[in-house]
Amino acid sequence: MPRTRRTTRCCALLAALFLAVAAGRVAAQTPADDFKQSCSSCHTIGGGPLTGPDLKNVAKRKDRAWLRRFILDPAGVLASGDPYAKELLAAAGGVQMPPVAGMTGDRADALLDLIEAESAKERSKFAGSTVSDRPLTDDDVEHGRAVFLGTTRLENGGPSCVSCHAMGDIGWLGGGRLGPDLTKVFERYKDRRRLAAWLTAPATETMLPTFKDHPISDDEILGLVAYFRHAAAESEEDTAPRALVFILLGLAGTMGALVAFNNVWSGRFRSVRKALVENVRKGGA
Amino acid sequence: MDVRSQVSMVFHLDKCIGCHTCSIACKNVWTDRKGTEYMWWNNVETKPGTGYPTKWEDQEEYRGGWELIDGKLRLKSTGKARIVPNIFHNPSQPSMDDYYEPWTYRYEDLFNAPEGDDQPTAVPISKVTGELIDIEAGPNWDDDLGGSEIYAKNDPNMASLTPEQQSQMMAIERLVFFYLPRICNHCLNPSCVASCPSGALYKRGEDGIVLIDQNVCRAWRSCIAACPYKKTYFNWNAGKSEKCILCFPRLETGQAPACFHSCVGRIRYLGVLLYDADKIEDVASRKDEELIDAHRDMVLDPHDPAVIAGARANGIHDSVVESAQNSPVYKFVKDWKIALPPHVEYRTLPMLFYVPPLLPVMSQRNGDTIESVSEDLFHAFDQARAPLEYLGNLLGGGNTGKVSYALRKQMAVRLWRRAVTVGDITKEAAEAALREADCTPEEADEIFKLSTTATFDDRFVIPPMHREEAIEMMKDTDDHRRETGFGFLTGPRRGS
Repeated sequence: MPRTRRTTRCCALLAALFLAVAAGRVAAQTPADDFKQSCSSCHTIGGGPLTGPDLKNVAKRKDRAWLRRFILDPAGVLASGDPYAKELLAAAGGVQMPPVAGMTGDRADALLDLIEAESAKERSKFAGSTVSDRPLTDDDVEHGRAVFLGTTRLENGGPSCVSCHAMGDIGWLGGGRLGPDLTKVFERYKDRRRLAAWLTAPATETMLPTFKDHPISDDEILGLVAYFRHAAAESEEDTAPRALVFILLGLAGTMGALVAFNNVWSGRFRSVRKALVENVRKGGA
Repeated sequence: MDVRSQVSMVFHLDKCIGCHTCSIACKNVWTDRKGTEYMWWNNVETKPGTGYPTKWEDQEEYRGGWELIDGKLRLKSTGKARIVPNIFHNPSQPSMDDYYEPWTYRYEDLFNAPEGDDQPTAVPISKVTGELIDIEAGPNWDDDLGGSEIYAKNDPNMASLTPEQQSQMMAIERLVFFYLPRICNHCLNPSCVASCPSGALYKRGEDGIVLIDQNVCRAWRSCIAACPYKKTYFNWNAGKSEKCILCFPRLETGQAPACFHSCVGRIRYLGVLLYDADKIEDVASRKDEELIDAHRDMVLDPHDPAVIAGARANGIHDSVVESAQNSPVYKFVKDWKIALPPHVEYRTLPMLFYVPPLLPVMSQRNGDTIESVSEDLFHAFDQARAPLEYLGNLLGGGNTGKVSYALRKQMAVRLWRRAVTVGDITKEAAEAALREADCTPEEADEIFKLSTTATFDDRFVIPPMHREEAIEMMKDTDDHRRETGFGFLTGPRRGS
């Protein structure tokens, strides 16, 4: 039937068009952007190690097939007992490389090509964050605190940290519970450079899409780093009781609200008939 | 003039024997489903009494009906300020206890009980929870209990009576009760319809029956608070409200509604009234004492050529107008003026009218002896056991004038018929009584006939419903032309 064939052809054409558009959208992200977003929070090219190793000339340290495998599935390679991967884990202070969301073989190849090309340059644009390394002041701490709490609006429109993260020194409610408690985050990173690099392009599954189009500015990062360092030094590690207090406060609040509702709408279970019967009983007795 | 037709009703309270046959007929036809056990679309209550649900007439408790604020009609149950804080629960509804918790008995206990010293008994269990319950009340708990401390004494109609009148109504040998059968009044200005936030309630254009669209109802229960007669009910199983449908499937096939058909005392009358819908708002906003007359004035004379022309212009079929001309309700309400709307002060303009009961004094306490005075059937009605004020509160919108007019006329008809059939009263005396009661011998004979020997077809003048025309107003019947008799537009779902 010619009509059916035409329909089929139309469908095929449409499908092809759709695929082309979809592919175009994926391709729109250049390897450089990809590196910045997915890798630069832990890696530099020629800027020394951050949380992860410096990737300059990484192709000379290990063959491309292994690198590709590791990028695609870091946990799998580690679990297979690969000795070099174990070495890397030890060097990173036990921080395991997280799987990169949506990583494909093609993307890994493109990234490796990029790293190779950048390694050849005198100074790569991925040599480290552009955040200033001047000494941190009390003003920086104050600014960071304001950014964390959202009392100062973030320059590029990103959400304030407190909406997902808790801090030890901001009162009993502590902050959000979606992300990890950041009271001691500075101790975990040990180094302001690493922390700053991480904040330039947060790479976790939750933070990546949130901050992709609203990056945290260098000035804000400096403040946050100052604030985190200050908080880590000042506060004690007491996350467990704080979580408990949070739950208890929630329970108490709920109970309070229920009691209040119960009083405001106290007439809801009234019964006209029972009141009549009670009246007569009282009068009769 | 905007002529509409309304299937209207008259209940003759002097004839009601309180047998509850109507309630049972209705229950068996409509409310024997899960979730409807407690509902009595038709119920019979003993007056004085608090009724079903308890104290339904107390609108300070239930906030039903309309109130006049600065000359404007406002729903008592709701308003902008009340609606938000009570959006999830309307506090003015009767609770299950105010209706009653429906129950049955565990009859199998009678057979399964182990051998013992005592007879086995069937214990009562709740029809809602299935658990054992202590029965504390029922829909007619105070049946025949005139004078009871809890129920009769708290009748809201008694509140405005003097303490002497109240104590007299409770006194032994003088205590009084009569029966008040109640169904939905299918009002002209229904507050239930006005209150529904979903627009689920509507008044059928062709016959004025008030219905709840089960597909639109969203269980707000506003109608339950808003109806001052408490004749909409919430089905806790279906999550929809339900109410008396005046057996419209029966009416559409020319049969009287189940409660009318089954009435043993033949107290019920049904027929069409034509009314002027333009006047609804004006009439409902009148002063209390003008309400009954204004309500009566809305009802149009079906013999008036202008009315007939108006009816025709509004698409009312000639056969319906003809039915209105033969309507027994028109005679009771308009011609004879002896049928009165219940609690007209709620301003919903009910289209169910009651003929007030005479309630003669049958015996009297004289010192230590009780004298029978039953030979005096023709007592002065203002000496009747139920004070006129009481009946005035119930049927006269707070005034006794209309009630005493209706009672005087009924008494005159009795005297007249006594003179005609027995002859121990002179015709002259009887005619004098008739004149005093604004009645003629012919009218008296007519009242007598319709009150006593009327046949089924005299009592129920059911208009042809012309569903074919009513449907054509809503949809093109050609769409379903060749499908007649094949399936349902929406399949019926019966209770489990």
